[in-house]
Amino acid sequence: MSTKRRKMRVASVVAGIGVIAVLAAGCSRGGGTPNSTEDGGSAEASPGITDSSITLGITTPLSGPTAGPGTCTVAGITAYFGAKNAEGGVEFGDGNTRTVEIEALDDEYDPQKAKANYDQLKSSVFAMTSGLGTPTNRAWREAAIADEVPQVLIQTGDPIFSSQEESPWQLGFVPIYQNEGQAFGELLAGSAEEHTVAILSQNDDYGEGYVEGFKAAIEGADNIEVVKELTYEATDTSVDAQLTELAGSGADVFFNAMSITPLVISSLQKTQELGWLPSWFLPSNTSSPSAILEPGGAAAFPGVYTVAFAQSAAAPTFAESEEGAAFLEQLKEYANYPDVPAFPHCVWSYQIGATLEEVFGNMTEPTRENFMEALRDVSGFTAPLMLEGSTVDTTEDGQPAVSTVQVQKYNGKGYAPAESWDQ
Amino acid sequence: MNPGTFIQLVIDGLSTGSIYAALALAIVLVNQATGLINFAQGGMAVLSAYIAWSLNGFGVPLILAILAAVVVSFFLGALIERYLIRRFERGDPDTAVVVTIGLLTLITGLCAWIWTYNNRLFPSLFPLETIKVAGAVISVRSLGTIIVIVVIMGLMQALFLGTKLGLALRAVAINPASAAFSGINVGRNLMVGWGLAAVLGAVAGVLVAPQLTLTPGMMDSALVYALAACILGGLSSPIGVVVAAWLIGVLENLAAVYIPFIGHDLKIAVPFILIFVVLLVRPQGLFGRKAVVRV
Repeated sequence: MSTKRRKMRVASVVAGIGVIAVLAAGCSRGGGTPNSTEDGGSAEASPGITDSSITLGITTPLSGPTAGPGTCTVAGITAYFGAKNAEGGVEFGDGNTRTVEIEALDDEYDPQKAKANYDQLKSSVFAMTSGLGTPTNRAWREAAIADEVPQVLIQTGDPIFSSQEESPWQLGFVPIYQNEGQAFGELLAGSAEEHTVAILSQNDDYGEGYVEGFKAAIEGADNIEVVKELTYEATDTSVDAQLTELAGSGADVFFNAMSITPLVISSLQKTQELGWLPSWFLPSNTSSPSAILEPGGAAAFPGVYTVAFAQSAAAPTFAESEEGAAFLEQLKEYANYPDVPAFPHCVWSYQIGATLEEVFGNMTEPTRENFMEALRDVSGFTAPLMLEGSTVDTTEDGQPAVSTVQVQKYNGKGYAPAESWDQ
Repeated sequence: MNPGTFIQLVIDGLSTGSIYAALALAIVLVNQATGLINFAQGGMAVLSAYIAWSLNGFGVPLILAILAAVVVSFFLGALIERYLIRRFERGDPDTAVVVTIGLLTLITGLCAWIWTYNNRLFPSLFPLETIKVAGAVISVRSLGTIIVIVVIMGLMQALFLGTKLGLALRAVAINPASAAFSGINVGRNLMVGWGLAAVLGAVAGVLVAPQLTLTPGMMDSALVYALAACILGGLSSPIGVVVAAWLIGVLENLAAVYIPFIGHDLKIAVPFILIFVVLLVRPQGLFGRKAVVRV
């Protein structure tokens, strides 16, 4: 009881400070009145866009346990458009060149705060984008549909956002959980050997989505058997008991559909202590080499697999590539993010920026309706820092903007593509 | 039932229970010295762990960094008592409790402001190695954590029951006015009590940080379990709260694995059902003494 109350107090104080800070920043920037197009085009402009600028809104966790990835969801896109603004702006399909402003508010991964942030932003921004979190994005999905405000290229793997019938004003950016589980299941089913699988999954849509995709892919594969399946709660601070039980199954593959960073690190350590050394599969958001695998001592396992569609900033070759170097430089200069990001969300949000630029280029009217049309018409677009084989495709109903993922295998430092299990 | 698995679950339970125990001991210490329940104990523990982490980052060897953090924590605890809590001690106890909750908010915010919410990796005092006993794999870290807590528990029991300082601390807690009349420096004893509690918190912080990774809210759930252990074991008994904390850790693990109805999703309810039952039968806790007021 008391902790909950206390957490809420902590939360509200921090949020209060955050809101004041953002308001102050907004004021000092001069705000800018929406709807200031005088002659205009054929249609009246939507809120948040003028002939010289467009404002995008983000609600995402900037404090609290998910702040690490959350901060990245703002930093990447801010860096991308910061660099574009410095060059003069982005060219739109209606002939205007506009600068892109970002208004980001902290929701602390709290659905209620996310909804409040949306209410605060909806009439001053053109579209909402990039924010992380399934429960938080779900909290204002219906309101966004009713208000006809775009909630697009958001960072959640929940399939509901990519179904046009259910979510006409939404589109997810990252692959849905099922895409990831399925890619791994397919790789495993293609193995020439027999495998036994132990599964630990988060007791919510996230965990269930992964397991669903995985099971669909191994259905009918005679060489794969799931021998033990357990769950844990997202609020748990230890899964030692589950791991002890799973280790008893002696499975040679461990599918850990877990989204909590410290739990993944301690799971990697605990299984080693138990002397259980299976091959691992980890979701894309909890498989960072520097933040999770190294401290967890993942090199001890025969293989750690994950799926990805974007390059990992922590990979040794990343900073040497032209795109990688530019990304890190812009992150430092425009987003006040001097470190090499440990979370993939920074690269994802940078790619969201690039995807939006592509969409802006096809917009012929400064309206939200026209934007949604242009948004659903991107295919075969390769965003910067994408892995070979992955592209942005927004034309397929039921799928997020990026649905093609590559299975990768940890090589002790970073990831290398894994084409087959037995290679 | 595989005996190895059983032993393992018990040892793991004792190890997580030990973390709760360290924090519970700190709460007991403050409660014994000042009659208050300090909700900020978890936050203070996190702050201590951050101090150790920062020193370690500057190149100070881990063990020295931890010792330095322990010393700094002692003085911080004493200063917090002297300049903040002192003003509320004579008043309504409810007010003082709210002050400690406010303090927790403040410390958590301060840690977030200085060190951000990113997970910081805290090096472990103990190696990742394991020992095999009767089919169970026991990690050195679990054993080390348990031993540290047993030693601290012994020291505390000795302090309270066997030393003049302990006697003075207890006297001050029970009746500050009489204690002052018999020549005990009440203020200094209160500061020492808070300082020692902060030291215990620091120990809990550095023990748990390698496993949970360091974040400002790291101790939040441990605090809930520690409070549960305090109630279950009895606020007046250091041994009692440690036993209760271990009981909570072990029962949770065993119930999850061996009672299919509970499973891993409902195991958090186990300690609280236990508390409910114990309090109905023994309101003073398993090991607590009944508060007797002579009239």
